[in-house]
Parts: sequence; C-alpha cells; structure tokens
Amino acid sequence: MRTYVRKRIDSANKCSYNVYMSNIISGFTTKEKLEILADAAKYDVACTSSGVDRKGKKGELGNSKACGICHSFAADGRCISLLKVLMTNHCVYDCKYCINRRSNDVPRAAFEPEELCNLVIEFYKRNYIEGLFFSSGVMVSPDYTSEKMCETLLLLRTKYHFNGYIHVKTIPGTSDELIAKIGLLADRISVNLELPTAESLKELAPNKNFSKILDPMEKISDTIAAHRLAIGKDARMERANINRYLDNSIFNSRMTIDGEKVKAIGDGRENIGLSRSVNNKTDYTALVPQGKQGGDLKRPFAPAGQSTQMIIGATPESDLTLLETTQRLYQAYDLKRVFFSAYIPINEDKALPAIGTAPPLLREHRLYQADWLLRYYGFQAKELLTEQRPFFNEQIDPKCDWAVRHLEAFPVEVKTASYDVLLRVPGIGPKSAMRIINSRRYGALSFESLKRMGVVLKRAHYFITCNGKMMFKTRIEEDYITSRLADSESKENWRIAHQNEQFHQMTLFETYGAMSS
Amino acid sequence: MNVFTCEDNLESKLTCIYTAWEKAIKVGHSNVRLEVEPIYMSNLFDEYTHVEADNIKAQKVSNSINSKISPDVYISVYYALLSNEDDALDSAYRFLINAFKVGNNAIFAINTPENMRMMELRRRVGNEIHSFVEFLRFHSINNQVYIGHIEPKADVIELVGRHFDDRMPSENWMIIDDNRRYAVVHPKDGDNYIKQLSSEEFERLRQTEGIDDVYTEMWRAFFDAIAIKERANRRCQMNHIPLWMRKHAVEFQG
Ligand code: SF4
Repeated sequence: MRTYVRKRIDSANKCSYNVYMSNIISGFTTKEKLEILADAAKYDVACTSSGVDRKGKKGELGNSKACGICHSFAADGRCISLLKVLMTNHCVYDCKYCINRRSNDVPRAAFEPEELCNLVIEFYKRNYIEGLFFSSGVMVSPDYTSEKMCETLLLLRTKYHFNGYIHVKTIPGTSDELIAKIGLLADRISVNLELPTAESLKELAPNKNFSKILDPMEKISDTIAAHRLAIGKDARMERANINRYLDNSIFNSRMTIDGEKVKAIGDGRENIGLSRSVNNKTDYTALVPQGKQGGDLKRPFAPAGQSTQMIIGATPESDLTLLETTQRLYQAYDLKRVFFSAYIPINEDKALPAIGTAPPLLREHRLYQADWLLRYYGFQAKELLTEQRPFFNEQIDPKCDWAVRHLEAFPVEVKTASYDVLLRVPGIGPKSAMRIINSRRYGALSFESLKRMGVVLKRAHYFITCNGKMMFKTRIEEDYITSRLADSESKENWRIAHQNEQFHQMTLFETYGAMSS
Repeated sequence: MNVFTCEDNLESKLTCIYTAWEKAIKVGHSNVRLEVEPIYMSNLFDEYTHVEADNIKAQKVSNSINSKISPDVYISVYYALLSNEDDALDSAYRFLINAFKVGNNAIFAINTPENMRMMELRRRVGNEIHSFVEFLRFHSINNQVYIGHIEPKADVIELVGRHFDDRMPSENWMIIDDNRRYAVVHPKDGDNYIKQLSSEEFERLRQTEGIDDVYTEMWRAFFDAIAIKERANRRCQMNHIPLWMRKHAVEFQG
C-alpha cells in the first residue's frame, strides 16, 4: 500500500525526479536527510512565526499572522511552528558547544534546494507548519553556504510562490551582499550572539568573534530601520501596545541606557559593553543597494525584525549580565526578540559542563519571565537585579522577587492604582490590569470579581487592598512572603527542573498502562 | 416562566431572541428563558414554545444590535451563539438586555455576571477557532484536493475556513465538521461555501483520513527528530494540546 501511494505521488509530482536523483548521489533519502538535519537544528530555540501580518494572494501559497501560529507541540513541550532544519550539518568550524562541530563524528547530510522547497510547500499545504526556520552549518565557507541558502529561498519565493513565513539564521562571516539578499527574501533574520561576553565567545567558539556577530547585527538593524523609514513607518520596530502606557518601558523613546539618552538607533552603543571595533562613521544604512534585488520581488527587508539567542549555563555570566545584555540588544539594536537556551552538554570538553549535567531549565525559565517583564511590564534589568544580587531567586518568579524586596511600595489599592502600578503587582498581568481599569469605572470591585478577571489572588493578595481591605490578615515581611510564595510555586518549580525524569516516569507509566490493557 | 426553544443554528437562535424579546415586553425579561433543542428536562410549571427560524426576524436582531449598540457587541453575541455551552443562548440574551441599556460599554463592564459570562463565551469560542487554525491537518488526495476533518465543540467551521481562504486561496480544499456533518468547501481561486453532506458523501469523505502519503510520514519523522530528549516534558505537551484535539493531528497517530 505504501509503495503504491509513493509511486502515485511521484508521478503526480513534477519535481520528484530531481529529488530522488540527488538522494542517490548523497546516499540518503529525503526522509533520512530530514531526520538528520532537523535533529541537528533542534538546539536553536526560536520557532515562532510571529512579527508580521501579511495577507494571502491569489496564485500564491501562504500568509502570515503577527501573533504567530503554533502547529504542534513536540515531546519536550516546545511549540512547533516552523520547519526547523539546516541546509547542511557539514561544518568547517569547531564551536565547542555545538553538535555539528567539525571534530564530531556524526552523520552529515545536505538538502538540495528543490528538495527542501518541496518539503516546505507540501508541509505547508497540509497545515503542519507556518513556514521555514532556515539555518546551516558552514560548508566550504560562509559565503558558499549562504549562496546555497539564497538559491533555495529565491526558488521558494518565486518558482514555488511561497508567501508564508521564513526565518533565516545567518552565518557569521557572510558578505553584506548576501545578507542583503537574504533579508529581502526572509521575514525575520537572526544572528546568534551565543554568549553574552567576548571572553566566553573566544573560549568556546574559536572561529567566531564578537565583532563578526555584532557587525552584521548592526547592519541588519540599520537596514531594517532604513527600509521602515522609506515606507513611512517609524524607524523602530513596533512593540506591544502596552508599552505606550508605561513611562518606564525600555522601549520608551525617552528612556535612557545607563543615564545616556537613546536618541535613535545607533546611539548608546558605545557604552553598552558590546562595543564594536569597526569605525562608527561608516554608513551602514545601505546594506541593500537601491534598485532591484532578487528579481522582481518587491519585498520589505526582514519585516518581522531581527532576533538572537544566547546559551545559558555553559559559561559563568550572571543573570544580571544576561539581562542587561538583553535590554541593550532591545534598545541599541532594536531586536524583536532575545532567546535563551539552557545549555545541554553534548560534547566532552574541559571548558564545558560535563556530559550528564542537568540543563539549567529553571534558570532559563526565570530569564524568560524576566525578559517578559522588560517587554510587557515596564521593568528595567537594573531594577530586577543588582551588582550585590546578580542572580534571581530561582524559587519564585522575578516579579515576586522584585515585589518582596520593595514592600514599601505595597499594598496598592486596586480601585485607584494606575495601570503601570497594577502591572507591577505579582499575579496581575497586562490583561487583568486592563480589565480592572475598564470595569472599575462601571461598578465596585471585589476579590471575587478580581479572580474572575484573571487575577491570581494566591500571589496578589499580599500586595493589594480592595476597598481598603486586604484579603487575609497576613504578615507583611520579606522572608515570610518569600517562603509562602516559594511554597506555592514549589511543585511547578520541581516540574520544570526535573521535566526530563518526569518524562521517563510518564513513558514507563504509559508503557505499563498499555501493556495491562 | 415562558421558555422559548429553537434548533441549533444561528438563524434559529437569532429568531428565538426576537420572539422571546417580544414576549418579554409584556411579561418582563425575568419571565422568559431561551434554550436550544433538544430539551431533555422540561419543567411542569414552564410553558415551552418552539421557535422556527425566520430570516427576516433574524436579520432584524442582527441589524439592531449592529446599528443601535455596536458591531463589537454583535461579534460577542455572534460568538456566543456559535458556542455549544448549555447556557450560551440565554446568556447572550441576558447580555443584550444589559447592552441595550449601557451600549458598547457592556463589553468592558465585566463586574456584572452577565457581561462577564459573555466575555468568557467569546474568549472560549475565539480560542477554539484559533486552536483549529493550529491543529487542523489536511490530507492530500492525489495532490488535487486537500481535506481536513475536525470535531469542534462550538460551531466554528465557517470561521476556521476564513483563515484558510486567505492562507491557501489557490488550492482546492475542504474542511469537514465530523459531528455536524457539514463542510466548508473552497474551490481553487474561488470563494468558500457551506455544504451539508449526505450520509453517502460523508462516509466517502471519512475514508480520506486514512490516506497517508510520503509527506505524512516525513512530518512524523520531523516531529520526532525535533524534540530534545534532555528536555522532555510530556505534561507541558499535554497542556498545550488536549487529547480531544489530537484526534485528527497525524503526528499523534501511527
Ligand atoms: S559554525 Fe554553527 S554549525 Fe558550525 S560548529 Fe559553530 S555553531 Fe556549530
């Protein structure tokens, strides 16, 4: 039956001839390549299809929704939105933390451009994916590889009329010209910072250096800004609406970095610790030359913006360093997202945690929560952590952590507190804060109605009064509240930190369950 | 109590609101109730009236909500009427009583139970639409037509179809509600339309779900390869896709 179906598909599919020819040459079937190249790509965390709204068009396949669409959840609980694969996992570099490094003995494969296009199109039509997350190991040289990637993208956008989402992770060392081409074909571009300091990067990625990463990041950022200006948009990326109500937001144009005003993109870079060695006077806004690029394609340059990723736990940086770097990337490079990836020891190396060391999942979780506090709650990195206290208390979430250290600001009265003040209360989020503001104009609030508006009273009750009263008589004392909050989160914390063991228990349970029935 | 009952579709429900409202002008809103058929437990003291769908009356209700209150309030009502929850129709009615008094603000004044319930219903139906936009899977029939089956709780197939109208305008596809037995049909480069399915058609279309091709297999292979085993988190996966939604997602079968 299967072979019958396969034959029928072959005859119906014009491109399958090429695909099968190339498989004969490499010795792998497309399915085997997919397994190898998805497996090799899985450590990249970004899989979101968000950031750009684009309507579909007759004659084309696909659209894009700014909110992002997830299509499935893998066994690790991570969302699958994009076909996340490498063009190839051949690599001439030898980054210590990477499964694909030259010195590892792993099966290597490469997609043919048409072969990958087919996969994207057929997966997309079946509603398996929102698009492609495209990255690669370095085959021959950065430019050789990027050229191949460009060829694939151009085919996908022109011959295959693909109008869905594409995220490209660029390869450090790629020429400006190729990055410019990629930017016109992709929706989002990322350059992975990998590690938050130049020293760590030098230690773990001998073929990379900070300027090779920050330089393209800056050029991409400037090019996106120039393109946005050219079509009448604000130079800086759109941010969640909520930031307009938050004076303290890192996205507020009046906001400062370490006391220096950020006037425009590019300002403030000198004192961000990510300083570049390149001459600042060079005009980078022209990464994309005037005139036509990529055939007749009229596409905006990376309309969903730029993102990056940092590895957590392979090097000694503090949460403060990571979070400050994150804030600076948002402010100075106008990145749309910064992702964190708990380091999973896969390679034996003196410079790295030993194989079998548990990945710092709870720490990663806290950093993501803190990242949300920067992007949606109007917090600054320096408010959340200090030089004296550079790590989060992993047992409670960063907002609770902040609140218990600022008890002088509480309790707040929900009937009268302003939006930004409500938002700083643990257990109150952007939505519930907005519901409180909207509804209190029309009638009285009670703890019961707060609960129905989505306020998590379990956390919030230490920090609010409603009509002048607290919900319970409770001690307002840092250590006491901290321990109560940690208690109420302990189950969840344990789950995050031990998700892996739990999985084994679950599978065992499922296996035995299935056997007995 | 005067109980007005109707069939489970939009036109009937809007007509039911119209008829109940007429009665309420005489007896008061607290003396009418609206229920969707079939009615399992009727009460001896209540008087039941079946309301037949009437296009003109349904239009009147929709027009007056749109023009006298606001289009946004109509969207809330519309979503609630798609819901399969028992109290949804009556809740929409209660919400409208309030909304005709206070106008569009009814959407925000969620400290009254009626308005709060409406917000919940709208959110739930909205979430269900979004879930099917995510988890619907199409099966390819000879690369000619793509067929997807879903079993939504609320009657959301038309709204789900709107998303795919934009996403795949130049393909032939069809989304089938296996429980209600009707389909949204999209002809290549054409417009979506709704088709009631005969049992014979339905049975034939049901077979399509058994058709796996090389891409189904490759998708499963990808699905397995992309998970990081050191981070395995079954509970998180479960929370994101409840079992009843997985039923038609090919990566969870075979
Ligand atoms: S260049 Fe990329 S693929 Fe190659 S070893 Fe470094 S991280 Fe891995």
